[in-house]
Amino acid sequence: MCLTSLKPIAEQVRSPRSLYLAWPFGHPLGEPGNLAQQLTVLHAALYGLYIAEPGEILAPGWRWRRESYTIPAGWEVSRDC
Amino acid sequence: MDQPESNKVWQRLQRATGQLFSQIPVLAQVWARGYQALRFDSIPFTPLTKPLPECRIALVTTGGIHRRDQPPFNMADARGDASYRRISTTTPDAELTVTHDYYNHDDVRRDFNILFPRELLHNLAQQGQIGSLSDCYSFMGHIEPPHRTTLIQQTAPEVAVQLRQEQVDAVLLTPA
Repeated sequence: MCLTSLKPIAEQVRSPRSLYLAWPFGHPLGEPGNLAQQLTVLHAALYGLYIAEPGEILAPGWRWRRESYTIPAGWEVSRDC
Repeated sequence: MDQPESNKVWQRLQRATGQLFSQIPVLAQVWARGYQALRFDSIPFTPLTKPLPECRIALVTTGGIHRRDQPPFNMADARGDASYRRISTTTPDAELTVTHDYYNHDDVRRDFNILFPRELLHNLAQQGQIGSLSDCYSFMGHIEPPHRTTLIQQTAPEVAVQLRQEQVDAVLLTPA
């Protein structure tokens, strides 16, 4: 699963599965310290492995900083630091 | 080897553009519409049949992450660097750094999980949400000819061989 912030490039490269979020460079999983956002993206990417068709670009459409996230059920992880 | 002055100017421009795209994402979207990326005729798709708690996952990034005791990526070459760094799944974030001048990584240094979620994947493996996490691999995603050929013919296949040897079921790729 390839996370991407640039859909036109993902459409050219055609990786097996992609998850597109139009977020700034350097932030494919979201903002620093936002564990719920990071886990939401991770959950979508990993479970997207099962639902994406060959070459499909999944696009959940989550906005940058104007979205409220909850930790996916069962994914309450502790942080090392 | 010293670069011609024109190459240095071009490199500075590319670095400035990458930093600008980090701050103003809409500019990156406009740029991407005109970018001629590599194109491939086929899609190497393998269905994933195991449940996630049984899958061995790998993390591959182009964010220029590496351990502090590993050689940094080459920023002196305007054409980039096609090499990679292997990073153990248990490497603490405090031992990591970033060498990649073509995007703003201030936030990554504050929290590596926004680009290199090694810690989160490691913890998910410990809790049984994924089967396991293999060693991670990191490239520096500014790679232009002739280094692109090195990437395609040498370094990326080397990583693919190692992923296969580690019996990885799926890979998460994160860009800068």
